[in-house]
Amino acid sequence: MKVVGVYNIKGGVGKTATAVNLAYLAAESGLRTLLWDLDPQAASSFYFRIKPKVKGGVERLLGGKHGLGPAIKGTDFAGLDLLPADFSARNLDLLLQERKGRTKWFARLLKRQHETYDLVILDCPPSISRASENVFRAADLLLVPMIPTTLSARTLEQLLDFLGKDARYRRLRVAPFFSMVDRRRRLHLDHQQRLREQLPGFLQSEIPYSSKVESMGIHRLPVPVYAEESPVSAAYRALWADVSALLNAPLAA
Amino acid sequence: MEDFSNPTCLYRLTSQKADVDLAARIGEQLRLAEEPAEDRLLTLYDTFDWAIHDDGGWLEEDWGGDGCLLRWSALDGAETPLIQALREPPGFASDLPEGPVRERVLGAGGIRRLLPMVRLRRHAHLLRVLDDEDKTVVRLVLEQDAFEDPATGRSGPLGTLVRVLPVRGYDAELRDCLDLLDTLPELEPGPAPGARFLDALAAIGRRPGDYSSRLDYSLDPHQRADSVTKTILRGLLATLERNIDGARENLDSEFLHDLRVAVRRTRSALSQIKGVFREPVVDEYKERFAWLQQVTGPVRDLDVYLLDFPGYQESLPAPLRPSLEPMREHVLAHYDEDQARLAEVLGSEALRSLLRDWRAFLDAPDPERTAAPNALLPVKTVADARILRMTKRVIKEGRAITPESPATDLHELRKSCKKLRYLMEFFQSLYPKEEIRTRIRLMKTLLDNLGGFQDLAVQAVHLREIADAMHREGRAGTDELLAIGSLIGNLLERQQGLRNAFARVFDQFMADEHQSAFRTLFGGDPRPAAER
Repeated sequence: MKVVGVYNIKGGVGKTATAVNLAYLAAESGLRTLLWDLDPQAASSFYFRIKPKVKGGVERLLGGKHGLGPAIKGTDFAGLDLLPADFSARNLDLLLQERKGRTKWFARLLKRQHETYDLVILDCPPSISRASENVFRAADLLLVPMIPTTLSARTLEQLLDFLGKDARYRRLRVAPFFSMVDRRRRLHLDHQQRLREQLPGFLQSEIPYSSKVESMGIHRLPVPVYAEESPVSAAYRALWADVSALLNAPLAA
Repeated sequence: MEDFSNPTCLYRLTSQKADVDLAARIGEQLRLAEEPAEDRLLTLYDTFDWAIHDDGGWLEEDWGGDGCLLRWSALDGAETPLIQALREPPGFASDLPEGPVRERVLGAGGIRRLLPMVRLRRHAHLLRVLDDEDKTVVRLVLEQDAFEDPATGRSGPLGTLVRVLPVRGYDAELRDCLDLLDTLPELEPGPAPGARFLDALAAIGRRPGDYSSRLDYSLDPHQRADSVTKTILRGLLATLERNIDGARENLDSEFLHDLRVAVRRTRSALSQIKGVFREPVVDEYKERFAWLQQVTGPVRDLDVYLLDFPGYQESLPAPLRPSLEPMREHVLAHYDEDQARLAEVLGSEALRSLLRDWRAFLDAPDPERTAAPNALLPVKTVADARILRMTKRVIKEGRAITPESPATDLHELRKSCKKLRYLMEFFQSLYPKEEIRTRIRLMKTLLDNLGGFQDLAVQAVHLREIADAMHREGRAGTDELLAIGSLIGNLLERQQGLRNAFARVFDQFMADEHQSAFRTLFGGDPRPAAER
């Protein structure tokens, strides 16, 4: 079982759209996939029409005998399950703070699912917190969507800096990619070029800005389901191919 | 993902109403989304002798718009079904692509080919039960099935089932849905999973386990001996006939093997159940079945080489193994020719007339008077006497074997043992089950020793002949001849091992417990008078 965190300190960069569409494509490719909606805003749950409610809240999720299993729901797509968000997740940091081994909690919970799933995708809330530290320790790959702007670049540097200081995150791969790219804007293209030169490890594939992604809220479906022919569907497929290749590649020594 | 803690539920449509009605009926109570109907073709696979079913599973090929799957599911539904993708129809289990299903069926399938037993043509209509967010919470599949006989293409309807597929995490909605289905008068709780294949098999006149080469009669001890002997022979004839097509097409090696065993048993019954038919009849059919035994021999010999070949190879040191390959090629080079000749015989008028005449004889009413001295005796009397007599012979011949005895003496003993074993198997239902089975197993142990001894000797001689022929045909150089030589050495060594073990195996046969069991079972002491 591999774990991918979709994460950025900044909000509004296309995290949820990435998590939902990649989870769908992974399941379509035959992987038994779980999408964990960690964001109390519950957008992933909404896109899959699953009520953002976990019985007993995140407290029971973290502390219950049965682990994550009882809270998991089947989506409408074969091979794809979702662990819905719950409003109580706003207190997640507090709860994690109280616990022993507080940064390994997610990793421990997910370990119990390794027979059931081939891939887990974590849709993470923005900000850098105790919950994010849990994500960093549980994930094999951190996928960072980034709008090509100056502010985005700063938050990425912040993140890399934070991860670089802590030996516990050494096995975590970080893969930034450009998201919501508007190819008509000179500034986007310039930033992209400069960032690729400055920071190595950017994925080749990128997700263009598209009204098709915005209409996910109306369809409440992954983009490839209702707009298979659109360029943005092809972009998500290319992104999934990149991610899948990274997951299958052996770790560098 | 399906949650297997919630087993699939099935309902049966009580009438032949169209499924649209049912969708409407359910739709009155639940929010439904209807998906376009889909056609699937499900084929049940098993070996001719139902080895997969005997091992506790159904093996099905599931072909639909999204490709082809191979699925193994437990008969009792207790294990999670196994699934793997499939590109071409199954043949031998060992030829399946790597995957969990192959792994599961490899042992049971063994050397037998997987054959299509029955087909289901399924018209499936998916209904999704939705909650107020339009989220699917339960799936209902209306399945209209038709059976199809793979042999004849004959088909017919099997009625409609409603399959309820749970969605993980929606247990309350599932319960509501089942409660509703329970109240609909159009539906009744359906068959157990897997019962669909039983229905389809029944519709084409078949059932799991409807073929076995084992002898399984229930005989009446008081019935006249000629009549019972005909019953036994009719069973053997049925086995023989059922294997003809498979042997002719060479689907796998066991069709011919079972056919030959049925012929051998037929000949043994004719000669060993003495005095129940008139002598000219016995002589005629002994001769005609001897012909069948003889013409089916060459292909069986080649089959045995091919089946034993991996073992032959393993018995050699690794550096010699590649040099054995030309021998396999030599055998294969002659195979097609011999198989073609066999197929000709199996489709010949000579065989058809033999089986026709034989059936006519077996089906003819029992004569009121006959020259056959034992025909009218109760079968138990005849069986007791024959088995006792043959046991005496085995004891006498076995006792005479010494470390210096020639191989021909062991061969004679083997023939007597085989006759005795067949007699006990033919008549086993006349005796207490456990008692007779123990004695049949005892005979098997003895026969394994003697048969092994004899077969290894024959193989060594044949390998020598093959080496000769390969040498003549320019297929064998020094390496190949040395490899075969080394193999012959191994076989002769194993043969000597069996020879050394004979005395111990025979002593076991002579043990008091068995000898007294023979006495009780067959009403006489088989040992020489001086020893009683």
